[in-house]
Amino acid sequence: MGVPRAKIPWCPTIDYEKCDFCMECDEFCPHGVFERRDDEEKKLVVAHPENCVVFCRACGKTCGPDALSFPDKKETTALIKRLREEGKDED
Amino acid sequence: MKIDRPPEDPAGIVVLPCSGLDKEAGSASRALSLLLQAEGASLVCPVLYQRSPKRYEKDLGKGRLIVIDGCKTGCASKLATERGLKIGKKLTITEAAKAHEVKPGKDPHLGESLENLLPSLAEELLAARPPETPASIETETSFGNSVTYREFSVDKFVFKVPESGYFFNENDCWARVEGGRSRIGVSDYVQQSASDMLFFEPPTIGAELSIFDEAGSLETSKTALDIISPVSGKVVAINQEVVEAPELINEDPYERGWAVELELADFDEDRELLMDAPAYYDYLKKKAEKEHRERYGA
Repeated sequence: MGVPRAKIPWCPTIDYEKCDFCMECDEFCPHGVFERRDDEEKKLVVAHPENCVVFCRACGKTCGPDALSFPDKKETTALIKRLREEGKDED
Repeated sequence: MKIDRPPEDPAGIVVLPCSGLDKEAGSASRALSLLLQAEGASLVCPVLYQRSPKRYEKDLGKGRLIVIDGCKTGCASKLATERGLKIGKKLTITEAAKAHEVKPGKDPHLGESLENLLPSLAEELLAARPPETPASIETETSFGNSVTYREFSVDKFVFKVPESGYFFNENDCWARVEGGRSRIGVSDYVQQSASDMLFFEPPTIGAELSIFDEAGSLETSKTALDIISPVSGKVVAINQEVVEAPELINEDPYERGWAVELELADFDEDRELLMDAPAYYDYLKKKAEKEHRERYGA
């Protein structure tokens, strides 16, 4: 998209009030975004947000308790466009 | 254009619901399937079906399958896809409830507000085609020009990408633009990774989509995925051939397997965020090779 991935804040956020640690999202995601922490209270964390494909919300579709949320898509698109413009100015 | 069809004969409908014991949405799934049974539909018990699939062979062969999931865990649809069943229609209680501003609870007993919603959901499911969903508004644009492809191999997999005329987002969805319209679909890489396409839930005709909005979803034998629109515009046509036979996406992902046609809003602006065909070829090759290395360490 012409913008370094690290500058785009797109990844799922886990609502630990809702998450029942069924691990469906982790089993689904082929990009290694989540990591299991068997010995911790939060048994699943978003360990590698940079691996999340921008605008992909597919793991959220697997979440029975609806515990995953994503950034606002329109705001993210606007941010990407702004960063692209800034990048052009720097060239 | 409107499609005028009589309501579907409920005797030709088979319903596979969630087992209905985990939470309220599950109970609603069970109760909804019983409402459909009262209208003449056949029911498939998900537990018995897992244990004795042969028991339902005859029923499943006789009509359109409606799958009712309680929540997004999707046990009923997963069961259907694992068994290779062709899904005619899918409903998720939590999603349908959300659309009516009802929030199912954790207690598995069925509450009044959700129960009151069920007759209208049953009615929707029994409608053969929602009358507000025509196949297209009008189609004048020709997308008939022949497409030539480039291929690359990763181990035993061969991936195909058009040489030109297509634009892609990083979600592996394509747009083929002709005049002021665009057809969109998923790439060969998606159809190979996701395996057999079993169900296409299209967006609504007339819906206005922004770039990267969901333009329908696909259920496959391995997973469920959204079509992330590479362009913004109004939905003007749905590929009815793909609705009827989603496997067309596996057979011909870039041409006959198109999913949705849009009247473009501002393609010049969208294009800035997309890859053209040669750029996608390079992007996909790197991605497929990386995934292969990570999976097989080769």
